[in-house]
Amino acid sequence: MAKSRNHAEWNAPPPFKADEYVDSRIYSDEGIFEEELEKIFKKAWIPVCHESELAKAYDFRTVTIAREPVILVRGKDMQVRAFLNVCPHRGNMIERRPSGTFLDGSPSGNPRHMTCMFHAWQFDMKGRCVYISRQEEGYQDRLKKSQVGLRELKCEVYFGGFIWVCLDDDIGMDVKEWSAGALECLQPSLDEEPLEIFHYHKAIIPCNYKLWHDTNCEFYHDYLHYHNRITGFNDGYFARKNMGFDNGHINVGSFEVQYDNYEGFDSRAAISFPHLPPNHWYMIDMFPGVNFNLRGSSLRCDLMTPLGPDKVMIEFRGLGLKSDDEATRRHRIEHHNSIWGPFGRNLHEDLLAVTGQGVSMDAQAEPRKILHGRHENETIHDENGMRHFYEEWGRWMNRSPSDPTKPFSEPSKAESKSKEEALA
Amino acid sequence: MAEIKDRASAATAVREAVYKSCMYKDDMNWEKWLNLCDDDFSYAITAYSPEIQRNMTYLSGNREDMRTMMEMLPKHNSDHSPLKRHCSVYEVEVDEENKTATAVSSVLVYQTMLDGVNCHVDSGESKVFLVGRYCDKFRVNEDDVKFIEREVQLDTRRLDKGSHYPI
Ligand code: FES
Ligand SMILES: [Fe+2]
Repeated sequence: MAKSRNHAEWNAPPPFKADEYVDSRIYSDEGIFEEELEKIFKKAWIPVCHESELAKAYDFRTVTIAREPVILVRGKDMQVRAFLNVCPHRGNMIERRPSGTFLDGSPSGNPRHMTCMFHAWQFDMKGRCVYISRQEEGYQDRLKKSQVGLRELKCEVYFGGFIWVCLDDDIGMDVKEWSAGALECLQPSLDEEPLEIFHYHKAIIPCNYKLWHDTNCEFYHDYLHYHNRITGFNDGYFARKNMGFDNGHINVGSFEVQYDNYEGFDSRAAISFPHLPPNHWYMIDMFPGVNFNLRGSSLRCDLMTPLGPDKVMIEFRGLGLKSDDEATRRHRIEHHNSIWGPFGRNLHEDLLAVTGQGVSMDAQAEPRKILHGRHENETIHDENGMRHFYEEWGRWMNRSPSDPTKPFSEPSKAESKSKEEALA
Repeated sequence: MAEIKDRASAATAVREAVYKSCMYKDDMNWEKWLNLCDDDFSYAITAYSPEIQRNMTYLSGNREDMRTMMEMLPKHNSDHSPLKRHCSVYEVEVDEENKTATAVSSVLVYQTMLDGVNCHVDSGESKVFLVGRYCDKFRVNEDDVKFIEREVQLDTRRLDKGSHYPI
C-alpha cells in the first residue's frame, strides 16, 4: 500500500541498482564542482560558437571555458584559431568585447592586430607577438617577441561549422574521434551546405549544469510540456531509441512530429533541413554539457558553461541555412522561437523545472537520491541516456555518482561485486 | 469614445493607447489588450545581439496567434511572477492625412517574484526583468486609434527563465 515515509525510510537507498540513481551532492558540492572543471571541462572538446559568428577575415569572438577566457579569431587565411584571451605581459584580458573585427585599429593599437590596451603589446591573427612598446629600452636583449606569443589552443571547425576548442593539448583525438559516432545521425543534414546563426540568448540559472544536461537527455518530462502531452504519444514516438556512445555522448532517434496536433503551429516539412525526412526530430547530447536539437526546420544548440555548483550559464543558439531567402529564414525563426525562444512555450517550462531542482539541492541541504531508473527497452522514456552520462562522469571523476565519497568502479566489476556480496 | 478631429487629438489618443496597453498587460487582461489592436495587428519581440552581430526576433505573431497564446496560458506551466511595465512615450508622429501614427516609448519591465524560484525566500521581491522600447504603429479612425504593429525592441538578451507573457 502506498504510504509516506519517515526520515530513515526517506534516506534509505532506492530499490535500484547503484547506476540507477545519483547522490544530489554531485549537483551541489563545491569541491566536486572544482574537480569537474579540472578533470572534465579542461579536458573535453567544447563547441564554443558557430563559424558564422566570425565570418570574415579579422573577425573575432570571445568565450570562456572553465574560467579561462578564450578568443577565437579568423585570420587573413580564413582559418579560425583559438588563444587564451590573456596578455603574456601582466595578465590583462586582451579583448573585452563579445565579438567584432580587428580590421579597425584600437585606441592603443594598429589595425589587423590584437592589442592589449594596458601597455600596447600587439599580436597578429596567428597569436605571434609583433610589437612590444619600448622593447629595447626596457628589456634590452633579454626578452624576444618569440618568447611572448599567445597561448594557442586546440581548435577545429566541425559538424555544420561549429567551432570546437579544447584546453588540453594532450587530448589525443580530433572532434570526430571525440564524438564517437554520436553526431553521425545529423551529419548529412548539417554538412550539406553552410549554416548560419539567427538566434542567441542566454540564461543564468541557479542550478547545476548537469541538471540542464539531464533535462536535455530525458524525454520522460514530456509531461511538463503541454505541446508534448498532446502531440500524441503514439507507437512511432515510443519507438524512438536513446543510444549511448563512447565518451558519454547520447542521441535520440527521430520520429515524425504531428504538427496538426499543435494548436497554433504549422508543419515544418517544407523547409526541413537537407536529407532530413519532413518534420523529423533528432537530438544529440554531447558530454559534458552540449545539446544539438534539430526539429525539422531549425537547429538549436545549447552550450552549458558551469559558473558554480549551483549556477550555470546556458547559451542558446538557433541556426538555419546560409542560403535561406528572407521568407524561409523568417519561418525558421518562427518555428524556433515559438517553442525554444525566451518567450517560447517549452523552454520556459524546462528552465522552471531545473530551477526547482536547484532549490531543493542547496549545498547545505540533506543529500538526496535522484532517480533515473526507468527501463523501457532504451526507448524514449527510458532513462538510459542519463545512466550512460553518469557512468562516464564517474569514470572521469573517479567518483561513484550514487555515492561521490567512494571511487568509481566499472559497472561490470560493480555488478559482480554486488553479486559476491549477495552470495557472502 | 472621443472624436478624433485633428492630428493633435490623434497624438493624444496614441499616448493614451500606449499607456492603456501597459495597464491591460500589467493586469493580464489580454482581451482588453487585444481590443486595442486592429485585425491586421502584428506583434514582435526583437533584439540586436552584439554577440552574434545580428538582429533577432524572439517572438512574433499576428492578433490570432497572440490570442491563441493567451488562451493556452492555463495549459502551460509558467512562472506566474507578475510583470509590471513602466513606460514613457518619447515620440508620437501622426501622418499628414491623419490616417496612421507611430510612437516610440521607453519601457522597463519589473518582475515581482511569486513562484519562480523558492517562493518562501523570494516571493515579493521585485527586480528589473528587461529593458527596451516599444515601437508602435497605429491606424487613426474617426473615434479611436488601433494598434497595427507593436515591436518590442529589447536591450536585454540575458533573459534567464524567460516568460510566457507578452511584453
Ligand atoms: S598587460 Fe598586456 S600589455 Fe601589459
Ligand atoms: Fe523539455
